[in-house]
Amino acid sequence: MTNGTDIALRVRTALAAFLKRDVATIKPGDVLRDDLGLDSLATIELLYQIEDAFDLEIPDTDLPGLVTVADVTAYLQRRAPEAPPAPAKPQSPSR
Amino acid sequence: MTGLGVTSAIGIGARHFWQAALAGRSGVSKLTAFESMPMEAYRSQVAGQIHDFSVGRYIQGALAERVDRFAQFAMVAATEAVADSGLQLDREDPRRIGVMVGAGMGGMVIAEQEYHRVYQDLRPNRVVPNFIPEVTLNSASGALAIMCGAKGPNLTISTACSSSAHAIGLAREAIRAGRADVVIAAGADASIVPLTFAGFCSLRALSTAFNASPEKASRPFTRTRDGFVMGEGAGALILESLDHARKRGARIYAEVAGYAATSEAHHMVVPREDGLEIANTMAMALSNARIRPAQVDYVNAHATSTPIGDVVEIRAIKHLFKRRASQIAVNATKSLVGHALGAAGALAGIVCALTIDSGLIHPTINYDDPDPDCALPGISERAQERSVEVALLNAFGFGSNNATVVFRRCSI
Repeated sequence: MTNGTDIALRVRTALAAFLKRDVATIKPGDVLRDDLGLDSLATIELLYQIEDAFDLEIPDTDLPGLVTVADVTAYLQRRAPEAPPAPAKPQSPSR
Repeated sequence: MTGLGVTSAIGIGARHFWQAALAGRSGVSKLTAFESMPMEAYRSQVAGQIHDFSVGRYIQGALAERVDRFAQFAMVAATEAVADSGLQLDREDPRRIGVMVGAGMGGMVIAEQEYHRVYQDLRPNRVVPNFIPEVTLNSASGALAIMCGAKGPNLTISTACSSSAHAIGLAREAIRAGRADVVIAAGADASIVPLTFAGFCSLRALSTAFNASPEKASRPFTRTRDGFVMGEGAGALILESLDHARKRGARIYAEVAGYAATSEAHHMVVPREDGLEIANTMAMALSNARIRPAQVDYVNAHATSTPIGDVVEIRAIKHLFKRRASQIAVNATKSLVGHALGAAGALAGIVCALTIDSGLIHPTINYDDPDPDCALPGISERAQERSVEVALLNAFGFGSNNATVVFRRCSI
């Protein structure tokens, strides 16, 4: 699953950039809130960046399922199986 | 409190507002304020809008035309409140009349219009000359002073959603400190505009699950609540010293008996989950009023219909009032009009005054699926009849800000 691995790495890279940490320190099992120290506002900010990077919208109803790094990866694998590389996204006029 | 005025999504005028509130009418509708935008890009598409508002229908003159929508709302509400109080402003000492207005956002209509002119049209030389006076947060308090000839203290309080609760509390303190005989306390906001609304959407603060049934979207204390509904409007209250009110034989709705302002010093947009800071704020306000928790009959809850906020407030009420919590009537004015931000505290204060005056507690609409974690026997989807001697108003704002105001029936 090259694509799945790609997505996992992109999620961890995005998190590392957001948290200003080394990507190697971000583990799939890390809980966003307890292990990575993201409060609700920081989680929303992170998801905003992931929405941008993967060109999709994450509805509020899906938020409760996004607890760990692996949850986010699995979610994106379901939602964006053929997501383009992060920089290729055209800017939508609505943002 | 001797005069009330309301500009709201369920009625212009305190009488219309109160009748609609008691009848449980929702002011929340499909978002139509900026239909030229790609509406599908807004997660939330409902709002408590005041439709077809035209200030000229209520107030004549250039001043009202030259202020932003939120200040127009405030002018309409204050005009009604002054008339309702029976005050003859031209017979008062103008230096003894103050104005205190709570506003969370300011002149957002002109702000967004002129941002467009600069950033999109690239025409900074065509920004309207009145932009600065109109966008400024204190334009509403300035306009009220000019309209009423009020030369006493003129302040704008901006603490987001608790702004006008503080305006009421600080108006009382100004009168008690002898700085004014009369204070026009008001709150106003009109921020249902494309950028500001989008900002609240991005913050994931707004309800998104009820876009197809707008009147159901503001549903405090229910299991299915999923965020607040943006509202707009204004409320105005005339506060005066007891002596001043008695001398002129004024009708007194209620006394503003106590007030507390605190900060949780915790988080910009989320309250402490244990509710202890809110409980402490209510306790301080009651202490300020020299009233015991056991004397409280009614709480006008902040209750915005957010998953966290509602449960924390109820936790705080249970913590402070203990067994008394099950005997207190509690309602959420935001179930009717959405969250009018800087106007919310003033509208809640008006509800407290009318509740004490009428013995009627307006329903919390959409309370059809109570969340067990928010449940109290005193919350009802129907109007309740009950004599209220002491009422509490809670208001909490972004920036970790809490306010409680205590109202008491004036027995003199």
